Amino acid sequence: MSELERSLLRRLRNRDERAFRELIEAHRDRVYNICYRMLGNRHESEDVAQEVFITVFKTIDTFREEAKFSTWLYRVAVNHCKNRIKYLARRHDRDRDELDDQASGANGTPIGAPAPSAPDRALEGAQMEKLMQDAIASLEDEQRIVVVLRDVEDLSIEEICEITGLPDGTVKSRLHRARLVLRKKLARHVGDQHE
Amino acid sequence: MSDDPQDDDEMIAKVSDYLDGLLSGAEKDAVATKLESDPAWKQTHEDMLETRKALSGLQKARAPGHFAQDVTATIHKRSAGRFFGRRTLGDRVPLMPLVIVAVLALCAIAYVMWSSQTGSLKVHHEHEHDGSAVKLTPGL
Repeated sequence: MSELERSLLRRLRNRDERAFRELIEAHRDRVYNICYRMLGNRHESEDVAQEVFITVFKTIDTFREEAKFSTWLYRVAVNHCKNRIKYLARRHDRDRDELDDQASGANGTPIGAPAPSAPDRALEGAQMEKLMQDAIASLEDEQRIVVVLRDVEDLSIEEICEITGLPDGTVKSRLHRARLVLRKKLARHVGDQHE
Repeated sequence: MSDDPQDDDEMIAKVSDYLDGLLSGAEKDAVATKLESDPAWKQTHEDMLETRKALSGLQKARAPGHFAQDVTATIHKRSAGRFFGRRTLGDRVPLMPLVIVAVLALCAIAYVMWSSQTGSLKVHHEHEHDGSAVKLTPGL
């Protein structure tokens, strides 16, 4: 950990508002992107990313400087995303119609709601983005976490193990399965496009 | 793809590890040989490479511009202002602008007093010489 990071941590522990703002500025986009790729919805992502930083600030005293600060921060983010996914799934079960209405809105499809089927979706430009996001959303939660951290955020397997608390082999096997699912989905869409 | 799903799983795992650079020398060479000689392995490698490229090429979503303010405002709201430590005077009061304003105001006051005919900053020596300084009128 760099001296700069240690100094920032000291200030955070002293409840320094300015230090907190510096922390947010440094990490907000990455945390937000992780949340967005995990949840698939901008409004939910913003809300969860906010909660991540609030939790970090509230629990900064529990951070032991054994790991990188960013690793700890991403662990908090992943846990919040998992909780939100569960919450959205429960809410979806309870109030299916209401969530379906939201899913058809401008904010995209929240995870927890079923992905819309669009067999004739083209693989170009912005549609590729949508296709990939839908493919990520269709993964099981545990697979989605590792694929977002590894292939979207480009974190190392070691870092992912620290973030998820999973052994190396489990992370790798989940990653393999996730890639296999994504590969099949992409291949299917390529096939649909060529038909 | 082979008929045995276990073979497929193994192939996917190996190719995946190969792409992640996690294989040691001998294993890496073995996979490289397979990729050259086996069309199924080659196809898997290309597909996974394509998938990874698509994933890493996804746009990076950026937090809204007001994100930091929103977070700190939420914290202030939830904690009724007790969450953050007491801010220093410099944080609470914009001291530098206040100093500049004060200096400008003082300069303006000094100028007015200096240029005023009745101002007390000027010493009117000429009054003392011509004897017309201040005449005290008895009875007033």
